[in-house]
Amino acid sequence: MAGPAHPDAMAPPKPGRTRTAPPQMPASWWGSKGIRTYLLFDATGIIYFLVAFLAIRFVKALGAGPEAWNAAMESLENPIYIAFHILALVSVIFVAVRFFRLFPKAQPPTMGPLKPPPAAVIHGMLYVVWLGITALMTAILAGVLF
Amino acid sequence: MAEKTIIITRFDPDRDEKPRKQEYPVPCDDSWKVRDAVNFIKDEIDPTISYRWSCRMAVCGSCGMMVNGEPKLTCKVALSDYGDRVDIEPLANFPIVRDLVIELDGFMHKFESVKPWIIRAKEKAEDKASRHPEKGTFNQSAEELLNFKQFSMCINCMLCYSACPVVANEPDFLGPAAIALGHRYNLDSRDEGTEERLEIFRGEGTVFSCSYANECSEVCPKNVDPAAAINQAKFSAVIDWAKGLVLPRGDTQ
Repeated sequence: MAGPAHPDAMAPPKPGRTRTAPPQMPASWWGSKGIRTYLLFDATGIIYFLVAFLAIRFVKALGAGPEAWNAAMESLENPIYIAFHILALVSVIFVAVRFFRLFPKAQPPTMGPLKPPPAAVIHGMLYVVWLGITALMTAILAGVLF
Repeated sequence: MAEKTIIITRFDPDRDEKPRKQEYPVPCDDSWKVRDAVNFIKDEIDPTISYRWSCRMAVCGSCGMMVNGEPKLTCKVALSDYGDRVDIEPLANFPIVRDLVIELDGFMHKFESVKPWIIRAKEKAEDKASRHPEKGTFNQSAEELLNFKQFSMCINCMLCYSACPVVANEPDFLGPAAIALGHRYNLDSRDEGTEERLEIFRGEGTVFSCSYANECSEVCPKNVDPAAAINQAKFSAVIDWAKGLVLPRGDTQ
């Protein structure tokens, strides 16, 4: 076993008459690909937490005037920022792909008279919407649309 | 016929401070399942080991154990799939009663709390005599059956509880099998207790404690896919909550 689980994990509502050994976590915990993926998925929250700070910094810079804004924008050329943004992009792709993979089976079997489409169709729709929104945002940020 | 070392977790609550390991050299037949090796030890080497088993055909759900760190139905997995040393432990995340036997009361309590039976609002209001067959049965189409059949295939082997990271860390979490069973009744066209169960599902330690690690579905020997049930139940609980904001709730008591 990998180590102790919560001492009250799966404990009976009333203690039994026999002494029991405390519950243990499975030894496969770290070896399981699914658990590692799940922990990585949760760990991406740290990156979004840092992105939020970056966004707050830019909002403050925007409020401080053009000079502060331009200085903030120039700071993004720092290799550390570039590496951070690449990491953020990879984590967003990772989270989206995992979410899309698990999304179809979380659909209810029926919604009134309607049934959800096959998983392949749901996957297709999700990826089309994702790529569409990415293309739209890219066009807006590149100044093509507005 | 090849000899393997079977390592069994031993725990005698009257003598042992904590579980210990005991090794047994076992001449294994190629056709054996893991549980056959445990049976051999019990029959031929050491009659003092304790474990649960019954049907030998992955139906009763009694013989779930950790095999080399993974929750498995030991009557279903071939011993030949493992190397020379096979480590057999009681199911993870459960208190250990003795050797490979785990405490089941916590599981049964969680199981019962989702009301895993058909609830009929009308029957409650009428006399018990109205349940007599001559009053009519509740017909169900094949399509209606298919809505929940997958979730009714659970054999309560508890492997999903052993694999779940939330069960390991949140004692109040109802867990995969119990929620899947509650959801199975919510999808049953004969049942009228959805509102009661969704009220339970919206509580603490239920569907929203699930972080969708999906490990329960990975280890399920009957392909029940409890992770799907839990996440469908999340969706239903949110929709029902939103409906409750604009529509008065009916009374199924």
